[in-house]
This record gives sequence, structure tokens and C-alpha cells, in this order.
Amino acid sequence: MKVVYRVIAYLIALAVVVQAASVALGFFGLTSWIENGGTLDKAAVESETTQFTGVGGLEFHGMSGTTIIPALGLLLVICSFFARSKGAITWSLIVLGCIVAQVALGIFAHVVYLLGAVHGIFAFGVLGAAAWAGFRIGRPAHARVDAPMPTPPQVKVS
Amino acid sequence: MLATAAVLAPVIWLWAGSLMPSAYSVMDMGRPDYGGGPAGQADGSGHGSGMQHTGGHMHRMRSVTALVADPQQKADVRVDLVARRQDLRIGDRTVRGYTLNKMSPGPMITAVQGQLIEVHLHNASVTDGVTLHWHGLDVPNAEDGVAGVTQDAVAVGHDFVYRFVADHAGTFWYHSHQVSHTQVIGGLLGALVVKPKAPAADVRDVTAVAHLYSGIHTINGRPGDLAVPAVPGQQVRLRVINTDNGQLQVWSTLPYRVSAIDGRDVRGPTPITGRVLTVPAGGRADLSLVAPAGGAGRIRLGTSTSVVIGEGTAPTVQQPTTAVDLLHYGSPTATTSASGLPFDPSRPDRQFRYDIGRRPGFVNGRPGLFWSINGYLFPDVPMFMVREGDVVRMTISNHSGDVHPMHLHGHHAVVLSRNGVAATGSPWWIDSLNVSDGETYVIAFRADNPGIWMDHCHNLKHSAQGMIGHLMYAGISTPFMIKGANDNQPE
Repeated sequence: MKVVYRVIAYLIALAVVVQAASVALGFFGLTSWIENGGTLDKAAVESETTQFTGVGGLEFHGMSGTTIIPALGLLLVICSFFARSKGAITWSLIVLGCIVAQVALGIFAHVVYLLGAVHGIFAFGVLGAAAWAGFRIGRPAHARVDAPMPTPPQVKVS
Repeated sequence: MLATAAVLAPVIWLWAGSLMPSAYSVMDMGRPDYGGGPAGQADGSGHGSGMQHTGGHMHRMRSVTALVADPQQKADVRVDLVARRQDLRIGDRTVRGYTLNKMSPGPMITAVQGQLIEVHLHNASVTDGVTLHWHGLDVPNAEDGVAGVTQDAVAVGHDFVYRFVADHAGTFWYHSHQVSHTQVIGGLLGALVVKPKAPAADVRDVTAVAHLYSGIHTINGRPGDLAVPAVPGQQVRLRVINTDNGQLQVWSTLPYRVSAIDGRDVRGPTPITGRVLTVPAGGRADLSLVAPAGGAGRIRLGTSTSVVIGEGTAPTVQQPTTAVDLLHYGSPTATTSASGLPFDPSRPDRQFRYDIGRRPGFVNGRPGLFWSINGYLFPDVPMFMVREGDVVRMTISNHSGDVHPMHLHGHHAVVLSRNGVAATGSPWWIDSLNVSDGETYVIAFRADNPGIWMDHCHNLKHSAQGMIGHLMYAGISTPFMIKGANDNQPE
């Protein structure tokens, strides 16, 4: 189960990277589309038939951020109950908390656009928490580093 | 295991609770809200609407199918419309869409105030089924064209006849209300104009249906400019119809007056220059203009299309940064009551709240971020329960982060205030109201058209996501089911 925990945690970290890629793809695609004569207004934004370059990136970012990543966060918490590893539950809850906060920032940035900047920066927090949760699971605790070092073999010099 | 159950159980409970049955009635869809008025009227045993009860049958319900125009009255205007799934030629592109009589927009229906319009709809090839809703016309409920509420969707090879009296002169439109978020975007729509009995002489009447087809902005189905040749001094009434999901911004090189909004005349409209007018999704605005001397004037409908009035080339014009505020536009009236309205909104029989928010959850088993009404997601939407004759006040607040063009079927409401600031201009009658994020509107209307009426966001993508409440009169029932054998999908 530790392996499953690690895989899910790394998947969350990877998903954050994909989120960054997809939103950048979407916005660069949009500017490219506008530079080539496309017009974007509210009607176009709300029309399911407006297909600008990279629109899929923005759609994926929204869908993944509100469904796939929270679902992975929830799976990580469930997995932590069976992982039998110290700190696994704590770190899974931290990751889930980061995801919830990030989704909330994404929602409220539509109202207070400056929160969009926080949303961008906080993505590193989600990434870091997930990567650390995956990295630390199943590894020896720090305390074991303090165990006595084995005695080096004695070499006789004749 | 316990911890797992504790985490999963609420999620599964929320998911399961959001699943919709294979068929359900709109009468069961939502949370009854009596708005401070008498409750328990859904069985028709209420008072104040005696016409609903005959022969001592106090509990008899009237079906929406009985709410029709006078069957004895002969049609003055008859229109035959054939709906098809068809490719459309828009500019130099071919896009998938829908047609009525092999065109999109469909033919413009015109009538004179007071005439009875009879429309024979035939579905030739729209496999999802089709209906026609008369947007802005306060028709009898049976003619409202909402699949699963006032009729079954018309299947391929079948017909439906709509009959209603055009009792108000103004600008309206029609569109499908079956799978509407797809069919309307695809062009299953058209204009409907009701002329006054005594139209003003020498006024050129121009209708501009703004619609976006697969990313191409058009007026009356054509991209670019709509040319209106006119000699200098020619008066023009430009009827702008926004059929899209987002608001349309209108501005002009010429001074213009807003003569009507949503099919209701504005009293004492003053000339406007250098201001932009917002036409909500589904809304209409009639502009009065005069063709300029020497050259032409440009009225921009968004950034991609224009109406050009006059001779020669028209100058370009940037979108103004200030907007027309209809809350203070025109002159107030003194018509039938002290407040200048045909009813007294300060003494309402019912007061409803329509709070629009956004939150994560499940709608029909699908997870995501959804629009909430009064804190609940679809299907726990409000059922606004009224009796015939009630004066209703509704407070619409939007804190969802997006704009919502709110559309109430079958009624026109008057705007009383926005963000606590009272309306001071001409009575601002609406059927489609743009409610921006952070805004609170108080509107009022008289419940004078019995039936079951949708009250939803006309960003049809939003209504498909569950932003759809309804107004329900005491003693009225519907035999139609949403989904079911006919697969009625009004949104």
C-alpha cells in the first residue's frame, strides 16, 4: 500500500505540472488565435462551438483541477489509512488541504482577480506537498540516521 | 476501514443524492418556496383564483395543456416551420447546425398587435426532438414550448401547433427549448416582430439578429456589416436581438435613443452619445436613429459586426468605456398607480430570493463546480409558488463570479432597484436581465399568467448545468415528464 500511496502522491505532483502546461497552452493558443483574426467576447467564451487554438488546454485545466486532482487527493487520504507509515495520514491531509485551498483560490480568482496570482504561486505548494508525501513514505525515519555507524574493517599494515 | 468509510460516505451520499431518475416531473423538481405567502396550494385548493375551481371540485387541478388561446379565434398570421439538422454556410465556412425552413436564423415572423399567430412546426430531421419557445412573449402556458414542462419534444416526423395572441407590440424571438444549449447555439431560432396597430410613418424598420455560429459572429446569419441604405434624415428603428449566451455590447457613431427593451417601450428616451448599451443574452433593444447627412453611421454589435446606416463608408468607433444605465434612463410614468406601475410593488403578496452562487458538488452524478441557487445545487432548485393575481417581489443576488442573464418565462417584471439604488427612469420592464457578479436586483411582477414557468439563466450552458428554477401557480399541473420516453431535455 505504501507503493500505491507513493504513486498517487507522485501522480498529484505530476498533475500540477500538467495543470501549468495546460493553462499556458490555452492562453498562448488564445493569443495566437486572436493575432490571426479571431475575436473573443462573452458570447464566444460561452459558446461550445468556439474552437480557438489551445481551448482544450483551458477546458482540461478547469476539469482536472475541480475533479481529477481532488479525487486523487481523496484517494491519497484513503490510502494513508492502510499505508501503516508514520506521518502518512498527516501528509495526505496536508496535500488534500492544499488541493482544497487551491480549488477555492481558482474559484474566488474569478471574483478577485489578484487571487489568480496566489493561485499560480500556491500551485508550487501543492506540488511540493505531494512530492514530499510521495518521497518520504516508506523511507527510514530521520532518527535511524543517528544509529551507530558500523566499525570499519581493520587493516593491518605490515 | 472506519476512517475510509468516514471519508467516502459523505461523497457517495452526495453523489447518489444528485442522481436523477429516468423520468421526473418539474412539479417534483426542487424545494417549494412560498415567499411568505400561503402554503400548500399545489393541490389547487387555494383561494384567490376562483376561475381554477368549478362545480365544487376544490381540489381539481388544471393541466397546462388547458392553458391555451381562445380556440374559437381564427389565426391572423399562419406560419409553417420545418426544423432540420443541416449544415450551414456562414461566410466562406460550412458549419454544423440547425435550420427552420432551410435557413438560420429561421424566417422572421411579423404580426400586428392583437393578431393571433399560429405556427405549425414540423420536425424533419432533428433527432433529439425540437420545440419552439416564444422568448419574451407572455403566451398561454401550453404554448410556451418547454420540453417536458408544457409539451413533449416534437420527434422526427411529428408536428406541433402553437397559437397565441401577440398582445404587445415589440421585438421578440423564438428558439428551441429542447436540448436548448445545443440547438440554440446551432441556430434553431428566429426573430418575431409585433408591429403596433398604428406604426409611426416614415420609419425604416430593421431587425438585426446577432448570433455566433461556430466562432463566427453574424447579423441575420451573415458575418460582417449589415448595410441599411438610407437617405439623410431617414429615421431608422433598429431591433437588436441577442441570441447568444453572453451579453452583447452595442455602440454607435450616431446618437441613438433606446426606444424599447425586451418588447416594452421606454418612456421619454433621450439621445445617447459615447455610451455603450449592454443587451443581455436573450434580451432585445430597439434603437431609434437618424441616417446622417453625407456618409454613413456605424452601429457596432460587438467587435465583429456592425449595422451601417446611410450611404458610403462609415467611420470606425472604439467601444466607449461608459455604459448606458437603464436604471435611470427615460422618464418615469404615472400610469395606473402612484408608483407609476400597474400594481403596487411595495405591498407584495410573495417575496422570493434568487441567490446565485457557485460551489463544488455533484449534478446528476457528475462532479464539478456548479451554480447554486439559494445555496443548493440542481435539482434542489427553488419552486416559486404563487397564486394568480399575486404581486411578487424577487431579489436576485449574484455572488458566483460570473454574469447571469436571468430569464423568466411568461411574464414581464419591472426593475425596482439595483444594489439598493432605486430605479428613477422609465419603468424598466424586462424578461431577460443581466445580473453581473456582485449585483443585487429587486424586480417585481404580477402573477397574471397561470402555468408552470421556467425562471433560468439564459446562458444556456449554465441552465444545462442546473441553473434553472421555476414559477408554479397554485392549481396547475403538467402531465409531461422531463426525460422519460420522449427524452425531454428542456435545457
